[in-house]
Amino acid sequence: MAIEGQDAAATGKPDNSRFNVEVAGGLFLIGLAIVGFIDTYSLKFGQMSGVGPGLMPRVTALIVGAFGMLLVAQGVRTPGQRLQGWSLRGLTFVVGAVILFGASIRPFGLAIAGPIAILLAALADPNTRLKEAVPFAIVLTIACIVLFKVVLRLPIPLAPFALGY
Amino acid sequence: MFDLLDKLALGFQTCLEVVWMIDPWFGLAIPVPLNLLLCFIGCLIGTLIGVLPGVGPIATIAILLPITYSLPPVGSLIMLAGIYYGAQYGGSTTAILVNIPGEATSVVTTLDGHQMARQGRAGAALAIAAIGSFIAGTIATLVIAAIGQPMTRVAQLFGPADYFALMVLGLMFAVILAQGSVPKAIAMIVLGILLSTVGSDLETGEERLTFGFSEISDGIDFAVIAMGLFGFAEILKNLESPEQRDVVKSQIGSLMPTRDDMRQSLAPIFRGTLVGSVLGILPGNGAVLGPFASYTLEKKLAADPSRFGKGAIEGVAGPESANNAGAQTAFIPLLTLGIPPNAVMALMLGAMTLKGIIPGPEVITKQPQLFWGMITSMWIGNAMLLIINLPLIGLWVRLLQVPYRLLFPAIVLFCCIGIYSINNNPLDVYLTALFAVFGYALMKFGFEPAPLLLGFVLGRLMEEKLRQALSISRGNFATFIQEPLSASLLAATVLLVLVAALPSIQRGREKVFVE
Amino acid sequence: MLITRRLAVNLIAAIALCAPALAQQNYPDRPITLIVPFAAGGPTDVVARIVGEHMSRTLGQQILIENVGGAGGSTGMTRAAQAAPDGYTIAVGNMGTQSAAPALYPNLKYDPAKSFDQIGVVNNTPMVIIAKKDNPAKDLKEFISYLKTNEAKISFGHAGVGSISHVVGTVFHAQVGLKPALVAYRGTGPALNDLVAGKIDFMIDQALNNIPQIQAGTIKSFAVTSPERVQSIKDVPTTKEAGMPEFTANAWNAMVAPKGLPPAIRDRLVEALGKALDDTTTKKRYDELGSTAPIGAERGPVALQKLVETEMARLTPILKAAGAVAQ
Repeated sequence: MAIEGQDAAATGKPDNSRFNVEVAGGLFLIGLAIVGFIDTYSLKFGQMSGVGPGLMPRVTALIVGAFGMLLVAQGVRTPGQRLQGWSLRGLTFVVGAVILFGASIRPFGLAIAGPIAILLAALADPNTRLKEAVPFAIVLTIACIVLFKVVLRLPIPLAPFALGY
Repeated sequence: MFDLLDKLALGFQTCLEVVWMIDPWFGLAIPVPLNLLLCFIGCLIGTLIGVLPGVGPIATIAILLPITYSLPPVGSLIMLAGIYYGAQYGGSTTAILVNIPGEATSVVTTLDGHQMARQGRAGAALAIAAIGSFIAGTIATLVIAAIGQPMTRVAQLFGPADYFALMVLGLMFAVILAQGSVPKAIAMIVLGILLSTVGSDLETGEERLTFGFSEISDGIDFAVIAMGLFGFAEILKNLESPEQRDVVKSQIGSLMPTRDDMRQSLAPIFRGTLVGSVLGILPGNGAVLGPFASYTLEKKLAADPSRFGKGAIEGVAGPESANNAGAQTAFIPLLTLGIPPNAVMALMLGAMTLKGIIPGPEVITKQPQLFWGMITSMWIGNAMLLIINLPLIGLWVRLLQVPYRLLFPAIVLFCCIGIYSINNNPLDVYLTALFAVFGYALMKFGFEPAPLLLGFVLGRLMEEKLRQALSISRGNFATFIQEPLSASLLAATVLLVLVAALPSIQRGREKVFVE
Repeated sequence: MLITRRLAVNLIAAIALCAPALAQQNYPDRPITLIVPFAAGGPTDVVARIVGEHMSRTLGQQILIENVGGAGGSTGMTRAAQAAPDGYTIAVGNMGTQSAAPALYPNLKYDPAKSFDQIGVVNNTPMVIIAKKDNPAKDLKEFISYLKTNEAKISFGHAGVGSISHVVGTVFHAQVGLKPALVAYRGTGPALNDLVAGKIDFMIDQALNNIPQIQAGTIKSFAVTSPERVQSIKDVPTTKEAGMPEFTANAWNAMVAPKGLPPAIRDRLVEALGKALDDTTTKKRYDELGSTAPIGAERGPVALQKLVETEMARLTPILKAAGAVAQ
């Protein structure tokens, strides 16, 4: 879970790299544009009266792609800040917690999905202590049940295996 | 004039009406100002759901509808309205404290509001948002009372072509809104428009960019993108740089705005109110443009525009006022015409029909008590919100002192619950996770999410109106120039582009001279 | 020892076998989820809430409304079709989801006639043919000839492909032989706004959305599509009276449950729905909405099954011919 390029970020000094933020961002946009363009390729561009469903997505995808190329060109010409590394620990646990919440909320309900999401998310921070996180997860889940189920009456499953809802 | 006072008096009378209720324990009859109480409950719930990320007024009003079955019509509508504008108040709190815009209208508040919080001025930001909202609410109430009926003409003036032109103008705001490089901002706006086309096409029903998921055939929900790009991506950023995230809690400045703050904010509040009031009346959710327009206006008028995005108090005062004014004037088309301008108002219309009131052009004359009662309740509600919110500021600010290792898992859970509750669909939760990764990537590549969100919000309306206008004109693009309103809005856009481009052109020339 | 153990096993097996039967007898012993496949506040949601509230009193359990929107209501109905048939998940669909959807969505994951156990029609809402107020026509016949002579500049507003206003409009255009410019809006609200403002020429929509506008004279109405006139707009003739008897349409809503519902539970739900429809408050609400409750033979599972089948048979060819197919 090393955080590459953190030094550059911390000091804010641009290190002269040709594969810099601009280039990477540009390539990212080009990639998105290609996805957007290809997926809507089969849609009609225009009809007898007015425009078809394909116009907006394809025109915008083209513009996004064009800006992507502009950024790549700019980035290659003027070397700038290198791309920072991605912190995988944060991504894994926070995104993982969200996905697991989605997967467990309907079968297991808030009573189970809640603490799981909190604990998994908490692992994203190296400072987390289980002794503190576990009771916190339980207390917060109870608070959420009171808040969302009792006060706001949201139709969120609570514990379907025991209560049936 | 006296006529108006008479009507407002009727409204106050309705709001303060006392109902004798029998208490369940001793059987004593107690006088209860029921409507006042319901107004308070509505504002309180509204503030609560506004603060909770993801849980919006639509879900809450829908869920609370059954409670209103046993209440009198006027009272229940006063309560539901309170939830709506209360949520606008509460939404700014989350935007300022944790940089999560609960709704499209609070995106702008994150820009300078959260920066103020990072500088230890969260209290001042929250207070100015509350005060600005109160002033805006007061003025908007008077506007509805005095010129509500003639104002509906404004909504009728805007045909699809004019609306399209307005959206184009709105997109220009996004460029001005951006802090970093202009090409990157434009790329984000356009990417936002591209995202807005996801879903089945309104005209032909064809699926676009849904990749086979029928659940997103109505488009991606705003909250899904906002929670992903702002909420979760912000958490990932903070986790990465522990030294930065502590800035917020290390120092807490004064809870109240200074005299200087107030002086700086007063004009933006009035300007924001004006802009928000007008845009709020437009059909199809014109109210979302209000805060963006107000921010643009303030940034253009400011002596030093570079302060914006770094904690300028005008950047909170103006948009927050515009937001609240718009939330209020959005009731005009509903109350005077019976036509809901946005999804929340459509729900209010449903609530009214459930209570046996079918709103329409004649509701003012046939049910003056309902009409004027609701309007005065809005002003009373705004006063209540100020009273609820000002003491809460201390509490909110203290929330920032909670260690981040506990705060962020709590935010994750709140966001998850909120997102699930939008459609009761786990797919929305997965999508948010996807947008979290997407937002993290954007951040790494040096893009800003705010212009993307504006593009997303305006894009859908823009395409709809473009195609409606062209359907009506049978494909004739000249319609945009033939309609006077549309033509002048497009001219304004061109003017704005020139004004924005001029400084850089001049700078370019200076450069030439230096060389 | 052995015997007692075997006894215990048998007992457990017996209890396990009895459990479903017991569950049926005690039905309902926990809150029932009522799926509404549209946003809260819309016409289907409002009637679902009106009858749901009364049914919950009859059944002695809360009925929780769950709005599951998306894909013209088919997302919510798909979920309802796939839910456990235990009577704890029911749904209220409409004419669109329960008869037009198969023609509109080739990839639909349910069959309105086969995936559900029908409970009954909840209400019938007449549609109104409405036009902007400065349209010169005086009656339906004049209006139709006006539409035909001015076909090149006529625009018809609807609330999106698959919406009731779109489906019924398609039927109308097919019967009249008209090809107006179709203007799609997100919901009837914005469409009505442009009709009142005179930006579009006409619409066909559920009466309840338009009654106040018709009463106030901000739009013109030429006919209601039901066999009877609508109480709150008595001056508006029916299509039959106005000389177009072949065009009738009702925007009906219907309550269904996933296929395989135990008959005992179905009977309880049918009975509870019937009681709700007989209630005077319900009748009053329906009147205000310009809507009617099914009476006599129109009620119950058999009538609904027949309605779904005939409507599907009627709408599918028209919609397919008009090319209104979503992918």
